[in-house]
Amino acid sequence: MIAKKVLLVGNFGVGKTSLIRRFVKNEFSEDYISTIGVRVSKKIVECNNQEVKLLIWDVAGTDGNEKIPKAYFLGAHAAMYVFDLSREETYLTLDENLAMVKNLSGLQDFLVIGNKKDLLTDEEIEAVKTKATAKIDLITSAKENANVEEAFLELTQQSLK
Amino acid sequence: MKKATADNNKDRFELLRQLLLEEDRAKFNLLSDEYLLQEKLSGRVSPLIDEKIADLRGKFPEYFGETITETIKVQIRDSQDEVVEALYPIMGKLVKKAIVSEITKLTESVNKTVKEKFSLQEIFKRFIKGKKNDADVVLQEVFEPIIEEVFIIEKESGLLAGSYSRGNIADKDMVSGMLTAIKSFAEDAFNKEGQDLEDIKFETFQLSIQNFKSIYIAIACSGVLNATFKEELLDKINNLAEIILRKRAYLSDEEKLNQLIEKELITE
Repeated sequence: MIAKKVLLVGNFGVGKTSLIRRFVKNEFSEDYISTIGVRVSKKIVECNNQEVKLLIWDVAGTDGNEKIPKAYFLGAHAAMYVFDLSREETYLTLDENLAMVKNLSGLQDFLVIGNKKDLLTDEEIEAVKTKATAKIDLITSAKENANVEEAFLELTQQSLK
Repeated sequence: MKKATADNNKDRFELLRQLLLEEDRAKFNLLSDEYLLQEKLSGRVSPLIDEKIADLRGKFPEYFGETITETIKVQIRDSQDEVVEALYPIMGKLVKKAIVSEITKLTESVNKTVKEKFSLQEIFKRFIKGKKNDADVVLQEVFEPIIEEVFIIEKESGLLAGSYSRGNIADKDMVSGMLTAIKSFAEDAFNKEGQDLEDIKFETFQLSIQNFKSIYIAIACSGVLNATFKEELLDKINNLAEIILRKRAYLSDEEKLNQLIEKELITE
């Protein structure tokens, strides 16, 4: 079975851990995220008629001042950048943040996810799309389990490219 | 005459009513006064109670610390058996750790002493018994070092390439990822750029990490790890790494790699 390391990155409180909680059953406590800045989860996904072992590195979100070891980003096959649709500060500098993750991981493409769609109306979501400084690939809601599976399947596809 | 009789009946009814209700009215008035007084007092007393509670909360150790300490001392003195029973698991662990640590030191010291001896008798003895000396033989029989787990992990991604496990541990893929994360965290936190984490020690368990160019090998051992065992293990790990790095196909074939680990580290 192919194994792939995938990253989940984004600012603090955008819902990365909630997305993972929806998608996988975890063996390790979420406390690791606040102690060493990362927690690894595993999920076996079927993609393109083959089984893929996804090792999901949930990297702690920062407000820009905290230090996260660069090594967490190394050797990744794909990454999902998550932002909060209801918090402007998480998508107004998307381009800069993506460039930073690109620099750390060496990855060229990212899956950009706008989470917490349950908190906004359709019109408001459209407004976010025009304001965001990068192209948004999927709009999700971990709370309502909307598009979560799709997001991880897309991430798996990217990891296989 | 009839009017006089009617008046008389009315007076008697009034008298009867007074006799029957007087006591109830008095009770009612008393209760009403009590209720009003309580309400009045509660308005005045509540802030004082709140203030006192806040004060107690803030200065609890100051007010009651001494009394509580004294009570605990008396309780411990009077229930020594129960205390020993409660502390035994912790004390037992500490004693075990201390003994293992002391025995490890003793083994090293015995080895050193014997190595320093150049008497013909010693050399002859060791020649006959092989590489191990008496202390090693005895200690290894009692606290035999055992390889419990082996992980071969891709250095950057933390993906597990192969493994061996004597027991049942949590999901090995996730353990490999978390181990890589902890390793990176420790190396980064102590700002040791270019230096790798090599050992993690538990009480009676040791995790040794050998770093190579694209992989690292983590081995968890239990028992007393004397110098001879460590030397032999290091040799075996280096041989294993050499085989893998010469033939990289092992890294993409978990089953073959697991067989190689067993052959090189466990059965040999």
